[in-house]
This record gives sequence, structure tokens and C-alpha cells, in this order.
Amino acid sequence: MQYKSQAVAKPYFIAAIGLFVGQILFGLIIGMQYVVGDFLFPEIPFNVARMVHTNLLIVWLLFGFMGAAYYLVPEESERELVSPGLAILMFWVFLIAGALTVLGYLLVPYSGLAEMTGNSVLPTMGREFLEQPTITKAGIVVVALAFLYNVGLTILKGRKTVVSLVLLIGLAGLAVLFLFSFYNPDNLAKDKFYWWWVVHLWVEGVWELILGSILAFVLIKTTGVDREVIEKWLYVIIAMTLITGIIGTGHHYYWIGTPDYWQWWGSIFSALEPIPFFMMTVFAFNMVNRRRRNHPNKAAVLWALGTAVMAFLGAGVWGFLHTLAPVNYYTHGSQITAAHGHMAFYGAYVMIVLTMISYAMPMLRGRSAANSEASQVLEMWSFWLMTVSMVFITLFLTGAGILQTYLQRYSSDPLPFMVVQEKISLFYWMREVAGLMFLIGLVVYVASFFVGSRQPEATAVVEGSAA
Amino acid sequence: MTAEAAIQQQRRGLAVPRFPPGDLAIWIFILAELLVFALFFAAYAFTRMQHIALFDRYQAMLNRDAALINTLALLTASYFVMRGVVAAREGQGRLCARWTWAAVGMGALFLVVKSSEYAHHLHAGINLSTNTFYMFYLSLTFFHFLHVILGMVILVAVALKAGRGGYTPEEHTGVETGASYWHMVDLVWLVLFPLVYVMK
Amino acid sequence: MNTSFPTRGLIRPCTLVYALLIGLTCVTWMIGRSGVGGPGVSLLVLGFALLKGHLIGDWFMGLRDVRGIWRWVVAIWLLVPGGLIALAFLLSFRG
Ligand code: HEM
Ligand code: HEM
Ligand SMILES: [Fe+2]
Repeated sequence: MQYKSQAVAKPYFIAAIGLFVGQILFGLIIGMQYVVGDFLFPEIPFNVARMVHTNLLIVWLLFGFMGAAYYLVPEESERELVSPGLAILMFWVFLIAGALTVLGYLLVPYSGLAEMTGNSVLPTMGREFLEQPTITKAGIVVVALAFLYNVGLTILKGRKTVVSLVLLIGLAGLAVLFLFSFYNPDNLAKDKFYWWWVVHLWVEGVWELILGSILAFVLIKTTGVDREVIEKWLYVIIAMTLITGIIGTGHHYYWIGTPDYWQWWGSIFSALEPIPFFMMTVFAFNMVNRRRRNHPNKAAVLWALGTAVMAFLGAGVWGFLHTLAPVNYYTHGSQITAAHGHMAFYGAYVMIVLTMISYAMPMLRGRSAANSEASQVLEMWSFWLMTVSMVFITLFLTGAGILQTYLQRYSSDPLPFMVVQEKISLFYWMREVAGLMFLIGLVVYVASFFVGSRQPEATAVVEGSAA
Repeated sequence: MTAEAAIQQQRRGLAVPRFPPGDLAIWIFILAELLVFALFFAAYAFTRMQHIALFDRYQAMLNRDAALINTLALLTASYFVMRGVVAAREGQGRLCARWTWAAVGMGALFLVVKSSEYAHHLHAGINLSTNTFYMFYLSLTFFHFLHVILGMVILVAVALKAGRGGYTPEEHTGVETGASYWHMVDLVWLVLFPLVYVMK
Repeated sequence: MNTSFPTRGLIRPCTLVYALLIGLTCVTWMIGRSGVGGPGVSLLVLGFALLKGHLIGDWFMGLRDVRGIWRWVVAIWLLVPGGLIALAFLLSFRG
């Protein structure tokens, strides 16, 4: 760790991992409720647990992004953070607001929560991913502003690099687009239209910039490849992301009451969205192959390569699968969507945050570059367990989705929804089993922080052929 | 083959560059853009198969004379840009700037003519939802229109820097980069023009 | 080194190319104005466009001096949508 203030990243990372565990537990609960309908009835209804699952995901990823930024920015800017104290204060504000919100979901009926928090003054609740009470949303904005001030000023006062500027643009975009969550028109078509400006333009727009810059940072640090080369890649990836991703929003505008031309615009532009993800894969492998040194933190390199591959599979391949209007006509809102949502979120954003944690945490805990061999071995085990489980979750859901689409929407005598759900329940059972495997992977991951702490640091293996 | 000839040939071989002029990043970008347009063109052609009468009817209402002027404007701009590159290679920065400014002027002519066509459509109450032909025509040409604007912005930056003597015969990648992008804008229009205005 | 840009001679080759481009454009425009259509005419016009594109790539973008795959990027790009367009038009005349 080169700068003292980078240490503020640590609580953010720890909170992220804690909430990640919570997210997965609730995933297992709703996965169970899919097949055993009255599981945990009446304590935890499906809709509530689902909300906790998805909201915890978003919140812990935000913790991860902020932690990543607090670690990355001082190093790139070559100066201390403007205000480490503010970063710590905001950490507690965000954590407490998040915890209260989740408790509200679990303890109070949702409509009661809406009433308690004065939703009627400015109604913003009740929409997927944006279920938070309006006051929580306002809190998120405050935290985001303080965060942007802190990070932005540090960048502007220090050395400006492409990596930190792209990161800053991504984070600022994240905050600005979130403002659309306060816009909730009565017209349902309009509501959905702008809802996607948050959801789609996040994951297929500004978050991709964050992803690209964190990946570039970790690759610069672990491979020693010239910054110039990496920056050029970053430029091209970002440009492609924006060209395809912005109008690509149209792939959500096929059937919601928007004009017909969106079927063309959405199909054509979003069909090209896999390209930047593909370029990221080529980029990551290319850089690792051209590495100037072998970094002792092998786990971090594994996570970085894993991100590049899984993001392409989940977002690029599984996204493309249902992105053309004539295909989406049949698959819209089916289990295929869920399959894609899981692998894309995991492959791109879960994995990039874990990459950054893997790279930074050893230094934050006083190592000079890497954890001990034992700890890394365990971490790499958890990488494989979680990643393979996620592949299986995706495959089972895809199988369920194909059958569902066929039986319910395509075959010459379509069956009713619930009849079909009954027929594909085997896939849901298998998803739950894969989910348990995922949880085991996560436990191993957490364990890797406690194993081998007293053993010496791993050193870079000198390969026979390495220059 | 004499030894001398062999050496000469080898030398020539070495002199042949492996990458196109300009920054390689712009070429990746150009490829991506070309791909978007390729998809759009193919979508046009295959959709037209389903609505031939409609496409022919509304195509006939377009202003082909305006399209001719615009094609000539873009081709001429491309020619000017290319002369600007030659000038930069020869170390004549001021001349490079003048050619490039002339190209920007041609781009502006394109924008004026195309805008007048749009004004005409707007006046007639035509928009993206009027029919499938207009949806394609407006989307394709407007998407291209935006590229003309971006191309001009790049050319202006090149012209300004060239005017300040910012390029040398050894280092003028910027000129070539801007030029390559501009030629792409022209290239796309060369297919768009017959496809949308003429072929039936 | 750069065969595209000889500076001696009465008219630069690239200027001749430019004249050819203008000429082909005018022919295309005349065909459009005359109102003729049909498979032969359409494919001819398309062929002009692809030829023009190739000239732009070769002479203006300077690809004729490049070795390897980049030499052919524009040509390949022209052939892909060009082929698809040709196919769609041929099919529509048959059907
Ligand atoms: C990392 C990037 C991505 C993430 C995290 C992501 C995540 C998601 C999620 C969670 C949904 C479900 C939203 C909902 O209705 O609740 C979704 C829907 C969708 N995604 Fe993605 N996605 C990503 C990239 C892509 C890409 C690159 C494409 C296209 C190539 C794509 C195509 C789609 C389509 C077409 C839908 C709508 C499915 C439907 O109609 O039900 N996504 N995405
Ligand atoms: C890091 C891992 C995970 C991520 C990133 C993730 C992400 C998501 C997302 C984005 C959604 C919303 C999907 C949509 O709107 O289409 C969702 C829903 C869901 N997730 Fe997860 N999830 C993960 C792990 C799990 C696990 C391990 C399970 C259970 C075995 C699970 C079960 C579910 C279920 C049942 C839903 C609700 C689907 C529905 O409403 O039909 N998730 N998850
Ligand atoms: Fe999307």
C-alpha cells in the first residue's frame, strides 16, 4: 500500500463480502420457495426475500465499487485522498441506511414500509431493483455525492490517468442515472421506459466503464505491461460500449408500448453489445501473455481472467441469445432472462469486485504484495467452486427457460403458466443444488481470509520460459 | 535474381507497413462502426423484400438531386482530406490545414443539404413511425448524419493543429487518424446512396 | 515508399481516381433519375458502389500500401453487406 488513505477501502470490502453472504442466503431461500411453495411461510414471503436478494446484490456491489475507487484513486493520482474521514463517515451512513432498509423489508409489510417512510410525498417505491424507500434513495444520493466529491477532487488535484478518468466518468454516470429512480410517471409505459435508464444504462453503460478501468488497473499492476498499451485498449472498449450500449437500451423497448422502430434500433445496436465484452477478454489474455513479470498474487490474476471470460459469456453470449426482437418476442421475461441476469451480474460485476478485493486486500492487511500460498490456494478453490456453480445455475435456468418458452408460448397448443412451472420443477431443484454448491464456494472464499495468515507471503514462481 | 535485386526487394518488403495509416485504435473503432452500418444495410435490404411496393413508392419521393450533391460533397471532402495527408507527409503543415479546412467546408455543405431534406420531411409530417421505409431511411441517414458531424469535429481538430505546425513529416499520425475516420464516413455513404435512393 | 502519392507527373493518380468516383456517382444518379429498375440495373448500381468503396479504401485510405489482412479490411467489409444486399434484391425479383 503506497498511500495511507487507501486503508479506507478495507471496511468497504469487508461490508461487501458480508452483504454478499446475505444475498446468497436469500437467493437460496427464494430458490427453495420456487419448488416448495410454503417454505418459511408466513415469515418470509417470496416477494420480500427476492427484493432482499436483488437489493443486497446492488448494495454490496456499490460498496465494492466504492472500496475499489478508494484504493485505486490515490495510487493512480499519486496523492492521498482529499478526505479519508468523509469516506469513513459515509461508510457508516451507507451501511446503517442499508441495514435499516433490509430490516424494514423483512419486518414491516411493504405497503406499511411505504407509509412509514412517506412514500406518498414522492412515490418511487415498488419497482424492481428500485424498491428502496424514497428516503433511502435520497440517502444513496447523499452518499454518492460525498463519494464523488472525495474521489473526484483527489483525481483532479493529482496525476490524471486514463484509468482514473474513465473510472470517474463511470461513477459519475452511475450517480446521475440513479436520479431517474426518482422519476416515476403514472403512465406505465413511460415508467418502464425510464426505469431502464437506470437498470440498463447502468449495467450496459456506465458500469462497464467502471469494470473496464478496474480491470485495466489490476492488469497494469499484475502484468507490468506498458500503461500506454492498456490505455489504448481501454479507449476502444469504452467507445464501443457507449456506441452499442446507449441505443442498445432499445432491446427493452420491444413490447412496452414504445414505437415500432425500437425493434430495429434495439436489435441492431444491442446485437453489437457483445463486442466490447469480447474485446475485454482478448485484452485481458493478451496483457497476461505479454506480462513483464509474474506477480506473486496468482489468485488476483485468476480473478481478472475469470472476469473477462465470464462477463463475455454471461453478458455477451447469454445476452445475445435473446436480444433480437423476433427471439425476445418468445423469451421475454422467461427463465432465460433470469439465466442471463445471473451469469452477467456474476461474471461482470461480482467478479470484478472480487478481483479488486483479491488484489488489494493483502496489502490492506499488511502484506507487501500477496497472501500466503495456503490462503491463495483456498481462494482459487473458491473461485472455481463459485464460478462452476454459477455456470450450472445458468445452464439449468436456460434449460428451464427453453422448455418454458416452448411449452407455454411456442408449441401449437400452449399450456398455462403454472402447468409449465410444474413440468420444469426438476430444473429448479437442480438450480437449488447448484446454489448450495455456490454457498460452499462462498464459505471457502471467506475462509481464505483466515487461513495461512501467519505463513510467509507467496513469492512469484520463476517459470523456466519466462523472460 | 541478383543479390542486389534480392536486397532491394527485401528492403521494399520491409518498407511496406503491416498496419493501415493512423492510430490502430481508430481502425478498431472504424471496424466497429462499419459493422453497425453493415447490419443496418442488410436489415434494410431484407425488410424491403417484404414490402417492395411500399419501398419503391416512397423511395421515388426522395430527393435524388440532393443526394447527388451530397455524394459529390463527401467524395470531394475525402479527396481534400487525402491531399491534406500528402501535404502533412511532405512537411507542409499550412497546406495540410488548408486542404483539411476545405474538407470541413464540404462536410458543412453536406449538413446543410441533408438538413433541408429533413426540414422538408418534417414539414410533410413524416417521422420514424410513418412507415417502415421512412423508419429505415430516417434512422440510417440520421445515424450517418451524426457521423458526419463527428468526422468534422475531428477534422477541425486536425486542421487547427496542422495550422499551428503541430505535425512533421516524421510524426503526423494525427492527420492520418482523422483522415481514416473521415474516409469511413464517406465509404458508408457510398453504399447508402444507391441502396436507399436508387436501387429498386 | 508511398506509391499512392507520387508528387511528380501531370495529374496525380489519386486525382484520376477522384474523377472516376465522380463519374460513377453521376451515372448512378442518372440511373436513379431515369426511373429504371430491375435486377440487372440494381446490381449494376450496387457494383458501382462497391467499386467506389474499394477505390476509397485503396487510394484514399491508403490500404494499397499495406500488407496482410488490413490490406483487405475495406474490401471484405464491402463484400459482406454488398453480398447480402445483392442476395436480398435477387430474391425479391424472383419471388
Ligand atoms: C454485465 C452486463 C449485463 C448485466 C449485468 C445484465 C443483466 C440483466 C438483467 C438482470 C436483466 C433482467 C432485467 C429484468 O427484467 O429484471 C437483463 C435483461 C436483458 N438483457 Fe442483460 N445484462 C447485461 C448485458 C447484456 C447484454 C450485453 C445484452 C445483449 C447482447 C443483454 C440483453 C438483455 C436482454 C435482451 C434483456 C431482456 C430480457 C427480457 O426481455 O426479458 N444484456 N439483463
Ligand atoms: C452472485 C450470485 C448471484 C447473483 C449475481 C444473482 C443475481 C440475481 C438477479 C440479478 C436477479 C434478478 C433476475 C431477474 O430480474 O431476471 C436474481 C433473482 C433470483 N435469484 Fe439470484 N443471484 C445470485 C445467486 C443466486 C443463488 C445462489 C440462487 C439460488 C440458488 C439465486 C436465486 C434467485 C432466484 C430464485 C431469483 C428470483 C427469480 C425470479 O423472480 O423468477 N440467486 N438473482
Ligand atoms: Fe439491457
